[in-house]
Amino acid sequence: MASNYKITKSDLTKLGLYSVIEQIGFSFERMQALGFTCSMLPTIKKIYGDDKEQLADFMTKNMEFINTEMHMATFLMGLIVSMEEAGEDRTLICNIKNGLFGPLAGLGDAIFWFTLLPISAAICTSLAQDGSPLGPLLYIAIWFVSAISRIWFARLGYSLGTKAVSTISENANAITRAAGILGVMVVGGLIPTYITFAFGEGLTYGINEATVQSIFDNVMPNILPLGFVFLIYYLFKKKNMSVLAVILGIIVFGIAMSYLGWM
Amino acid sequence: MNEITLIQGLLLMIVVFICALDQQMEAFYWFRPMVVAFFSGIVLGDMELGIKAGAVAELSYLGLLTVGGTVPPDPLMAGFMTVVIAYTTGRGAETALGLSLPFALLAQWLGIFFNTAYSTVVRMCEKAAKAGDTGKFTRICYGAWFVKSGAMAIVAFLAAYGLQEPIQNFVNAFPTELVHGFEVAGNMLPAVGLGLLLMVMLNNQNIPYLFIGFFMATFTGVDNVLPIAMVAVAIAYIDYLYNQKMKAASAAAVAVDGGDDEDGI
Repeated sequence: MASNYKITKSDLTKLGLYSVIEQIGFSFERMQALGFTCSMLPTIKKIYGDDKEQLADFMTKNMEFINTEMHMATFLMGLIVSMEEAGEDRTLICNIKNGLFGPLAGLGDAIFWFTLLPISAAICTSLAQDGSPLGPLLYIAIWFVSAISRIWFARLGYSLGTKAVSTISENANAITRAAGILGVMVVGGLIPTYITFAFGEGLTYGINEATVQSIFDNVMPNILPLGFVFLIYYLFKKKNMSVLAVILGIIVFGIAMSYLGWM
Repeated sequence: MNEITLIQGLLLMIVVFICALDQQMEAFYWFRPMVVAFFSGIVLGDMELGIKAGAVAELSYLGLLTVGGTVPPDPLMAGFMTVVIAYTTGRGAETALGLSLPFALLAQWLGIFFNTAYSTVVRMCEKAAKAGDTGKFTRICYGAWFVKSGAMAIVAFLAAYGLQEPIQNFVNAFPTELVHGFEVAGNMLPAVGLGLLLMVMLNNQNIPYLFIGFFMATFTGVDNVLPIAMVAVAIAYIDYLYNQKMKAASAAAVAVDGGDDEDGI
């Protein structure tokens, strides 16, 4: 049953903007299902008007578990709206959605969570270090643009639909690879500036009373912060330690070093 | 040492409420320590402290969200309490970062409670969905959204305004070694954020780039990472072009091989 209403560009703009609420009503049981459904309602109402039966069926079927990256959620909404408009079978639409949200989450996380976040945080932190408001203001601006870009994701999902998914997944490897290089290099650049791991002047050795820190500095400046990051990485990756345990461990270590007078 | 007035406490509550609304959306990233701390600093009349505290907390709480699907210590409350503790106790932001951890954990538990309890909200929405009542469905979602943010704001108000004296007394009773220990730890904590990021991003192929970034920062003396990020973009692009070329070359090779086989037959 195809609808008579034609989705306009401005409908998609509104869908994209309104989709910022995609994660409200989050629960462990259904994750983003409520917000996801809620975001689409104004657009869906344009298609079905006051047809309660259609709306009830739409809401019920879309309330299944979903958990994906925000921008990708908006993309999926565009896709769903285009299929609803074309009168596709709703079970089929939901199956497509269920098959896509996982892979899309991986892609979205690679772009936004693992690339944009560390890079924007790194750049803005270095601007903010001296107390300059430019840091937080730029941060707010970057993420404002990111939120607004969801208009584009809604349009992309609507116009390209499943075609876009195959194009995206073809390029997903290249994108993830590029994001990895960028992210890893920035993390490398952050280590010397943001992690202070140095022994104090008081910790000396030998007859000359050279500081222990000077040995490390002679080997390579910042070798201790670098080694420390790799240690933390090792604890997470190989020892599966929890974030809390590592944070507590660092605090205990810091206090111990302070009492020993080594740092 | 400073005191937070009732007006400031209430304003802080509003700041946290707004940022908590965003935290549930994850849309504008106002829930990140950098932004929460900035706004809180403005309310407290010490913007610079807010910016510095936000910068320290931001890096420590990088990458803390998606790893393993667990709920990590709450970045919003961590950023918020880092400023509040630094402001009320007069200690540096690095020291305050470590002391903010209990509050970040408290907010984490609050989040887990709501994420579990909101199964009831799912039931309510199911009913509204069956009835085809879009208005009711939307109102329930918004209600859940505001209630959770409200709870977060109340906790923030109690922690910042209500507990300021106990926190002050508690921290002031610390021997200097202990305070310094927290500072030492605070200076190391960004390694947690970076370690978590590497856990997801680092692999055998891109590990050389970590060292390139590290050496650039160590030996060029740039004090922000923007130049490094630009070089990284250039390198990523070179890598991309090279890979496309390799792909095309191997495709061509396969085509040639295919032809040979056919000739052979």
